[in-house]
Amino acid sequence: MGATFVVTLREAFEAALILGIVYSYLEKIGARDGFRYVTWGGALGLLLSVAMGIAVTYLTGPLLDVGPEIITVVVIFAAVGLLTWHAWWMQQHARLIGGQVQHRIDLARARNRLWVVGLIAFTGVFREGAETVLFLWGILAQAGAEAGWGSAAGGVGGVAGAAALGFTIFRSGKHVSLSRFFGITTAFIMLLAAGFLSNGIGRLQGLGVLPLSDPLWNTSWLLSDGSVAGGFLSGLVGYRAQPTLPEVCAYVAYLIVAGALFFGRRTPDAVGLADPTRS
Amino acid sequence: MVMAGVAGLLLGAAFVAALPAGAQAPQEIPLVIEKNRFQPDVIKVKAGAPFVLVITNKDKGPEEFESKDLRIEKIIPGGKTVRLKMPALKAGKYPFVGEYHSETAKATIVAE
Repeated sequence: MGATFVVTLREAFEAALILGIVYSYLEKIGARDGFRYVTWGGALGLLLSVAMGIAVTYLTGPLLDVGPEIITVVVIFAAVGLLTWHAWWMQQHARLIGGQVQHRIDLARARNRLWVVGLIAFTGVFREGAETVLFLWGILAQAGAEAGWGSAAGGVGGVAGAAALGFTIFRSGKHVSLSRFFGITTAFIMLLAAGFLSNGIGRLQGLGVLPLSDPLWNTSWLLSDGSVAGGFLSGLVGYRAQPTLPEVCAYVAYLIVAGALFFGRRTPDAVGLADPTRS
Repeated sequence: MVMAGVAGLLLGAAFVAALPAGAQAPQEIPLVIEKNRFQPDVIKVKAGAPFVLVITNKDKGPEEFESKDLRIEKIIPGGKTVRLKMPALKAGKYPFVGEYHSETAKATIVAE
């Protein structure tokens, strides 16, 4: 039971985290009616995860050999693009908006880009979704045996635990001041996207598209990828106990470029319109 | 999403381009999953030569071949066989697990 709890908690945590952030983001800009984008995006991600789980089960031959991996890698890189765009947009937004909630809604509506949070929710859920679905499916299929029910309960508990954590993030977002919230989430999304990018590069290495290289260092003795804490950090900021050179380069390069893009400069129109009373 | 689609196409093209190995077909090594264990649990391969793991899952449930070292996560549905292209490895040990049953499904590739 404990093992399946840990596995599902770890897998579902990342999705819950992303959902929690985008929900609280909408709450923060006073666009609760945009919640439906996130809900639809998340539901679509779940639906396609199940569909992919079923497809993988019935695929054969070359499609089964490489098909799911290509889709996963594409989703990972799409997620990097979406997270980057969203963080950039948020940053512009944070500078443009004043204290008035209504103004924020108008602005968001005018820009008509709220649907992007739905896409982010989708990629967040779909990324590891198919694996989690198959994992749960596997343990539920074996739930006939007495020990099997414990495993099944652990799996369901893991998903529930992750959902609770996501909700906690959503709730705590409420108590942070708007400008701080934007700063924190932008930095956080940067780390998340950098982790995704380095993960995607690692997968390309695993697929043989990029050559496999030796790890630059090994911190398994300190924090192993397989441990609960290591798994959380891997989901949060892309931690790897034994990263390769291309993974580290991608991670660092992303942080430098995105850091410059998000925190390095002020756009002229943003400066002009910035509300001086903004906290 | 247009960009993502284009990126996907490019990625797919790059992947397909990477598929044809040299003139010599790589060695195929069978690996069986049964009762949530790998058989054999030690696989010896020649260092420096790519190979193909032909993994057959004889169990009813799915299993995920996972190697942190090799950056590989591959789902093998119950009753199915998957051909997993492996890169040329430097001499050394490369442990892997079946992620869905990581207490029992543990094995190692030894390249020498």
